[in-house]
Amino acid sequence: MSILGLQGTFDTSSAYDGHDQKSRQAQRQADKWMLPGAVMMTTAILGPIGFPLFLKGVALQRKAAAAGLSVRPLICTLLGYLVIMDSGLNSIGWSLDLIAHHSLINRTLVTAWGNMFDAGYFWHYNELWIGGTGAPGEKSWEIALVPTVFCMRLAAAIGFLQMKRWGHQWLIVTCWFGVIYWVGYVANMTVFADLRYNHVVFPVLGWWIYDIFYITPFLAIPYLHTVNREIFTD
Amino acid sequence: MKESSTALPPGTTETYSGLHKWLQRGLFVCLAALVLEGSFTFPFLAAWYGWPTLSLVEMCSELQKVRYSDDTRECVFPYPLFAPAEAAAQKTAKDDWGVQPKPQYKRIGFRDLVKIHDERVARQAAANQERVQQ
Amino acid sequence: MNKKPIVDQDRRRKRALAAFQLLIYGYLFTMFLIQLYMYSVRDW
Repeated sequence: MSILGLQGTFDTSSAYDGHDQKSRQAQRQADKWMLPGAVMMTTAILGPIGFPLFLKGVALQRKAAAAGLSVRPLICTLLGYLVIMDSGLNSIGWSLDLIAHHSLINRTLVTAWGNMFDAGYFWHYNELWIGGTGAPGEKSWEIALVPTVFCMRLAAAIGFLQMKRWGHQWLIVTCWFGVIYWVGYVANMTVFADLRYNHVVFPVLGWWIYDIFYITPFLAIPYLHTVNREIFTD
Repeated sequence: MKESSTALPPGTTETYSGLHKWLQRGLFVCLAALVLEGSFTFPFLAAWYGWPTLSLVEMCSELQKVRYSDDTRECVFPYPLFAPAEAAAQKTAKDDWGVQPKPQYKRIGFRDLVKIHDERVARQAAANQERVQQ
Repeated sequence: MNKKPIVDQDRRRKRALAAFQLLIYGYLFTMFLIQLYMYSVRDW
């Protein structure tokens, strides 16, 4: 580290420390905007507030990178926050259905979503003793995935954003989990397609256009398997 | 660590730089789409299903009437905490039953709920008028 | 550094990842087509 060769080793290491500290600070500053923004966007309702906060964070990070500071690679930021949003949105939606099925929000806007895209969330809604969706298999997917894979993905994404090795490893595991649930969930929808699509506003195309953007596991897997693991620390 | 002179982001080696570039673009598209979906879904749904002409409770009632093909269903708000499911013993829903059930409620177009609501209110008002006159 | 084994491993890795992408998107597209077909023959 002889970047500033003028004075002794002490000064060059302090220059490195100074750079390192500035980089960490810049990253933390950016994350202070991005994380609340992303969390708000996953609530859907607070989305219009979260979006500009998130963009401000991205702008801060790009400015820091342009200024030569060592911030997280942009693709890691994108991936991490995308996984947070993906698992967050899924968790919010399905937790509402598991626990808050008789709230006004669910009985209006969620069933409205169901009526428009996926009648699994409209047909016989709140008729089961457990409340919420009555579509075949749907409740089982919710109970299986919300406390397991979506929580795990969220935790792994946070570790990944911190550039931790366990974050990287567990994001790989949970993204492969994601492959399983995509395969199973789509198969279930196809078998019971009559129920899921009959008389919805936008049959088939509506659901696919809406939900195709949740394919983060498939985009994450190639990156996670080809990234140089040295950038992640213990 | 031997790095190439081009500004490869940390973690990306030369071999995978193309792959990572395209993945980054794909991730950006997904992120933008999820952001837009997260922000605008509920306002869009509210507008489609009749808000603000119909209040949320009225929208809830109208949706229930369509779902169970029963004009007398009303949305109880706030719903009591440990009460049974609101449609627990319903008998009015129209379905073609079988191993792959097929619902028979009507499709709801843009702001159709407002029209349905207004027509029903007018019908009930007219029916009341007749009863009063008799 | 011995270049050859790394290049070989990377090539195999790239092929495996490409095969996985083809498989998964192929599966999704197939299901989408099945659903579209069902939409076309049934009166949804």
